[in-house]
Amino acid sequence: MDAIHTDAARLSVDSLGKSFDGVAVLHDISLQAQAGEFICLLGPSGCGKTTLLRIIAGLEEPGIGTVRLGGRDLAGVPARERGFGIVFQSYSLFPYMTVAQNVGYGMRIRGASGREISSRVDELLGMTGMAGHADRLPWQLSGGQQQRVAMARALAVNPAVLLLDEPFSALDARVRMQLRGEVHALQRRLRIPTIMVTHDQEEALVLADRVACLNEGRIEQVGTPREIYARPHTRFVASFIGAGTLLDTAFVREYAPALLEGRPSGAETAFEACVRPEDVRLDADPAGDARVADVQFLGSVARVTAQWHGKLLLADMHPSRTPVPGDAMSVWLDPSRSVWVAS
Amino acid sequence: MNTATWSQVPVRGDGTWRVVFVALAALPLLGLLVFVAWPLLLIVLRSVTGDDHAWTLTRYAALLASPRILQAGWHSLAMGATVTAISVSAGFAVAFALHRSRLPGKALMRFALLLPILSPSLVQALGIIFLFGRAGLVHQVTGWNIDPYGFWGLVLANACYGLPQVVLIVSSSLERTDRRYYDGAEVLGASRWRQFLDITLPQCRYALVAAAFVVFTVTVTDFGNAIVIGGRYRVLATEIYAAVAGQLDFGLGAAIGTILLLPAVLSIAVERMVARRSGRVADGAMVVQAPRNTARDVGLGLVAFLALIPIFATTAIVVYASFARLWPYKLGLTLANYHVNLADGFAPIVTSLEVSVLAALVGTALLFSLALTQRRMHGPFAAVSSFLALLPAAIPGLVLGVGYLVAFNDGPLSGWLYGSIAILVACNFYHYHAQGYLAMVAGLRNVPVALEEAAQCLGAGTARRIGEVVLPYAAPTLASVFFFLFMRSMVTLSGVVFLVTPALNLAAVAVMQLDMNGSVSQAAAYATCVMVVTGLAVAAMRLAAARASMMVKRSRHVA
Repeated sequence: MDAIHTDAARLSVDSLGKSFDGVAVLHDISLQAQAGEFICLLGPSGCGKTTLLRIIAGLEEPGIGTVRLGGRDLAGVPARERGFGIVFQSYSLFPYMTVAQNVGYGMRIRGASGREISSRVDELLGMTGMAGHADRLPWQLSGGQQQRVAMARALAVNPAVLLLDEPFSALDARVRMQLRGEVHALQRRLRIPTIMVTHDQEEALVLADRVACLNEGRIEQVGTPREIYARPHTRFVASFIGAGTLLDTAFVREYAPALLEGRPSGAETAFEACVRPEDVRLDADPAGDARVADVQFLGSVARVTAQWHGKLLLADMHPSRTPVPGDAMSVWLDPSRSVWVAS
Repeated sequence: MNTATWSQVPVRGDGTWRVVFVALAALPLLGLLVFVAWPLLLIVLRSVTGDDHAWTLTRYAALLASPRILQAGWHSLAMGATVTAISVSAGFAVAFALHRSRLPGKALMRFALLLPILSPSLVQALGIIFLFGRAGLVHQVTGWNIDPYGFWGLVLANACYGLPQVVLIVSSSLERTDRRYYDGAEVLGASRWRQFLDITLPQCRYALVAAAFVVFTVTVTDFGNAIVIGGRYRVLATEIYAAVAGQLDFGLGAAIGTILLLPAVLSIAVERMVARRSGRVADGAMVVQAPRNTARDVGLGLVAFLALIPIFATTAIVVYASFARLWPYKLGLTLANYHVNLADGFAPIVTSLEVSVLAALVGTALLFSLALTQRRMHGPFAAVSSFLALLPAAIPGLVLGVGYLVAFNDGPLSGWLYGSIAILVACNFYHYHAQGYLAMVAGLRNVPVALEEAAQCLGAGTARRIGEVVLPYAAPTLASVFFFLFMRSMVTLSGVVFLVTPALNLAAVAVMQLDMNGSVSQAAAYATCVMVVTGLAVAAMRLAAARASMMVKRSRHVA
């Protein structure tokens, strides 16, 4: 493996803050990417995730805080001297350069010889499945192919860090899935530390080693996709990722006291219980206290919305035995699978 | 794995580019200060100081006390208002016919609209005289006595000149109206007439207001038609010419010039308001397809025909008369009129070409560097620079010309500038600076930010970013700004008329001089030459812009 990408490649962001015209968009952001790690910055639009990526790239100045690469402070190092690779949502290829010229651009700037460039370009085009398209112009390619070229161009100089800004958003669903798989495999193979911005939770869960959830300029939680989904720390993370029902403490005490066991101590309104639909069991029961309000067929499961003492409870059921609206059901929540989040 | 970790190789430093960048910003701004702000300041100063340099309002008092000037002011207002009413209503109908009808022959309509843009502004007046004058075709055929000189002749000539500008402004807002508005109204059950009242008119009302102000300003401050066909109907534009070129009374000229700034300043204020109100329409508006409606098309066709036939006829008759043996008595063809009675023959056309090419070259370069550096400017500096860049829009060519006389006929730059080709180049370029600047800024907006940033992350410095990202995307704009400056420079009369000398004459001015000498057929021949040159320039522009924008269009889905 490449020595550069072990210790020196560690990217760290410390206590970063940024405001535009007096409006703070990032507060006290700290984040580390280990060698070869794939980190997703996930959050709704306007949460500051793109600004954070641009600061890491050097396209935007941080207000306060530092960005370090392998211990070296990057303050004052312009984007062009950082040696990072970046891929945008818009493919951003040079329209009048061939695929090969686009991919070789970074090396040409650094004075590589023609032979070095062409062998590296061939290697990258092979890696990204674009061999045989070297002499095409960008407009002759489909969106997915253009994004592969953009990827190859970013990887050509063997960047210290790879930055991806919503790279799949402009593609249609099928191409998006396919390219996602390819990027995943490529990153695992090259072990380049990668930071990707996305608002698509599924994309983040599939690709990332760790996900950083951003909300209103703050990191709410960093963790593996499993942790983020199964053990959300905050109400925002619980509701932004996956489906679920949030139940306040008074409600739990009244109707599901078994869940109280795991509750951290704190004020009555400080925490809420989050139950995922797959952890809710609904049984047809004429004496049950829940009533089916709506049933959505999602293919592999049916998602039932039940009216339960004034709450709308989501539950997944096998599609073969779904109730119909108006059916009475009894509710069972698994105490070991529910989690308390800060509200 | 692989040995080529090129990301670790240092890229070349960007230090010297800081200096270049500052120079790129400083040069065009210095030009604006010297050739726009300074002459403007001097004109206004001269209008409020006496010959002894003391502050006084006697020049304005003299204007108000002079019945001749008051009458000219009243004439300007009446003529401007009439022309505006005619041009705006007819122009709206023509724009509507172009975009909301199924009329055939739209290419022909567009061609007719192009003619006044290709010709010096006195060609319409010349055409009217060839048609209706005492030695005109109509009198020759019918024996009727029509006197075209005066109010109605001038109104007709200026309406021909102003109408295409109305069509341009209104068309852009008709084009941007999304078809889905009409589809929505149709589904809701609105009649065609309701759709016109509720969608078309509201969408165009700001454009109509803006067009009215533009036409009013242009006709009040233009003087080509006024001097040819105004006759004894004196307007302010001809008065300022008489005062400055005839009596060398710069003080009087400065006072009238300052007054002529008012409509232009007002029209800019209105245009700004209009631009804000009309907002930015998202790209990808669906083009409106006119539904089948014979009554509408017949009506619109009639109006468009009536509006466009004078424009076409006046230009065509000038071209024809230039080849006639003895207009209108012997209509056989000859080239005799092309042997002009001017001391320097066709030299003015060569000078015009030189001036126009220089104005276009220097102008495009300066506008590009200003717009380029403007993107990096912040705060008050950016505000001042864009104010200076747009300031020329408020200065009619006449006033700019008088300003150059006042500023450069003595003083530190006079030896170098006065009577030189440089002053003509500067006058033509700065006269049209604001329009060129706006086009350039809009063109640079097409440069994809993400591609610039991608290039930056790949290690590209400022020089590479300009050369490899900005220039390819700005190329269509550079081409159209170049040809815009070239064409305006070929045909404009109102600024340079004060600055030419017997030794250094321009084509548009030569047309005027031939007409004033009574050699109308030769004036027609000269005007035809100018039209041919600008016509070729338009063709070249279309070709160049089409080729350059091909790449940009293709790359819309790339970058």
